[in-house]
Amino acid sequence: MRKLLVAGTVAVSMTALAACGSGGDDQPDAPEASSWQSEIEGGPIEVGVLPATGTPSLAFLDDVAATMAKDISGTDVKLTFANTEARPALEQRWRSGDGLDVDYTMFDGTNDALLAWADDGKLLDLKPYLEQEDETTGAPWLDSFTPAVRQFMEHPESKEVYGVPSELSLQVLFYNAKLFKDNGIAPPATWDDLTAAADKLTSAGVDPIAVTGLFEPYMGMWTDNLWMRTVGYEKAHEVLIEGKGSITDDPGFLDGLEKMEELRDKGAFLEGFEGTDFTAAQAQFFQGKAGMILMGSWLVSEMKDVIPADFELGVVAFPTVDGGTGDQAGMMAAAQLMSVNAESENIPLALEWVRRVTSVETQTARAEEIGEVSAVKDVPSPPGLPGIADVVGSADQLFPAYFGLLQSKANEVVYPEITKLMFGKQDAEETLAALDEGLKRVYGN
Amino acid sequence: MLRKAQRRIIVPFLLPAFALLALFFLYPLFRTIDLSLNEFSRTGTMTFVGTDQYERLVGDPDFASSLKNTFLLTIIGALMLFPPAITIAWALSHRLRGERFFRFFVFAPVVLSVAVVSIMWKFLYHPTLGLINPTLEGLGLGALAKTWLGDPATALAAVTFVSVWHGIGIWVVLLCAGFERLPTDVLEAARIDGAGEGRILFSIMLPMLADLLRMLLVLWVVQSFQAFAFIYIMTGGGPFGSTETVGTLMYRVAFDQADFGYAAAMGVVLVVLMLVLAKVLNKVMKRDELQY
Repeated sequence: MRKLLVAGTVAVSMTALAACGSGGDDQPDAPEASSWQSEIEGGPIEVGVLPATGTPSLAFLDDVAATMAKDISGTDVKLTFANTEARPALEQRWRSGDGLDVDYTMFDGTNDALLAWADDGKLLDLKPYLEQEDETTGAPWLDSFTPAVRQFMEHPESKEVYGVPSELSLQVLFYNAKLFKDNGIAPPATWDDLTAAADKLTSAGVDPIAVTGLFEPYMGMWTDNLWMRTVGYEKAHEVLIEGKGSITDDPGFLDGLEKMEELRDKGAFLEGFEGTDFTAAQAQFFQGKAGMILMGSWLVSEMKDVIPADFELGVVAFPTVDGGTGDQAGMMAAAQLMSVNAESENIPLALEWVRRVTSVETQTARAEEIGEVSAVKDVPSPPGLPGIADVVGSADQLFPAYFGLLQSKANEVVYPEITKLMFGKQDAEETLAALDEGLKRVYGN
Repeated sequence: MLRKAQRRIIVPFLLPAFALLALFFLYPLFRTIDLSLNEFSRTGTMTFVGTDQYERLVGDPDFASSLKNTFLLTIIGALMLFPPAITIAWALSHRLRGERFFRFFVFAPVVLSVAVVSIMWKFLYHPTLGLINPTLEGLGLGALAKTWLGDPATALAAVTFVSVWHGIGIWVVLLCAGFERLPTDVLEAARIDGAGEGRILFSIMLPMLADLLRMLLVLWVVQSFQAFAFIYIMTGGGPFGSTETVGTLMYRVAFDQADFGYAAAMGVVLVVLMLVLAKVLNKVMKRDELQY
């Protein structure tokens, strides 16, 4: 009897292990690039979307899906939430061969950690389709995108294209324009302007800067941008992501940390920011409880429903640092890239979704109604983001947001140490030493 | 002959339970061990690496820190849970005015979802918008106001408190059942002999409930070692790792970094630790069986 039980256990385990294999390898043929539009047929497709349920941004995409269903008989577009919280489950679906037809965060040409899906043949190379002439403009579809976003769309080695940007996220400094005007404060262009503005806001009884203490990367935005100015993107990327050299080699790293320490010691951050999550911090900014917030340009579309009608929003690029040896006119950005599943059952329809979402017409409506910044040429700046066109226009280069830290080995090291600095647990020099030790540990250099 | 027939009839009765055990415990356990011996790419390709993942665990300060936090959470939680749960259950075992209301009041949070409770307490804890700090300040206890979830000194205790607040009703119900099955003649005899209620509780009731308390403690240890949802929603493991437990670290390593082999190795170590701890607790707290 005992033997029977043991044999049963083994048999059940082996059967279950065998059943856990990967999904099928059936890969439908991709359509010819020159004729893909003539192959579009209605049917079900599942499309990843970044806005949450109940937001105006999602309602907009619902309308795009409804229009497509009306135009192409039999089309049924299922919109699936694909933002940060949903990624682990969605990636698991991809791994089991059940990826969405169109999805986000599957590729970023500037981030080595996000090349794997393309390298393993899971994503459709979009370049042949993007090189086709667009019916409306008469120029190749690829040419409709701002050249600055090509680095995000292209594989750095093969130069194939695996992502098409539905919108652009820029890290910018938002300020309460009315509060600034009322207190005679000029929008900060330099670091000295920023610290002076912080002092004046404090004197006026307003916390200068809203920030969340419950999400470390958003605090890290400050040092990321400072290091871009004091060290430069390339050098900082080498040290933080590639593990080359030491963070103590370039004095700009310490300079950036000291500037953070200066802000902290001024009491420039929102009262109780350590226990405030990002939604509350953003809401407090729009309630006039803080004068500035460093955030992605998605802030306006994300908070659209809670921004008071009379709120006057101002936008400037991250302040320059006098004497900084880094990139003074660079800007941290991320393109929200849509990728197409190479194993999709209806690739032409998936491509059609991507084409419609990135058309000048849709992008213009989206900018005007929702406030999204577009990566498509000839699309106006969102009216809810006054001055964004000037900000983008004055940036000489777009650099990948967070230096790609979120997917790197150094993620566990850098942002927690920055948090300790901002929380007053250590000073700039101690932070630098802790970063040096942590980076050496993860990179073994 | 009869014994053989008995044996034969046992098998069909055992099979459903065995099938469930195999499906929901043995298979995941074997599969986890299998995963822990492999390294994974982001797209799910696995390569056999033997015991490499376990060797990596030994020198990993994040794992050590999360293990320390897991133990801390278990101890702090036990201190927050058992004294009030025993007190409430003891009080409810007496004739009490409004007993039904108190039972409902204590049990009500259990039916709320973890997400709802976490978000509600996140608001209550908020340093300026919440209710706790302004209340403390209103009572002239402003010195006790903290940035509860944002201070590494208080964050773990704050999250643990919420977890205890949410689940204490279950423990009270179990303890109430324990109190109710105590022999009334023994308790009455003690009262006739002049023992006070406190003395009866500590000298008679609790010793008689030793087996139940041991079981509840083991259950608490197992539950705490698996702590995940409250931490994930309320602090995400922060500030700077002060609330990171093995459960949350395992999740991040597996699903954020797609490092399933390493996360599986953490899981295996956690299972072993739980088994060892349960065994030790059973051994240390084992009492002679009382018949009553």
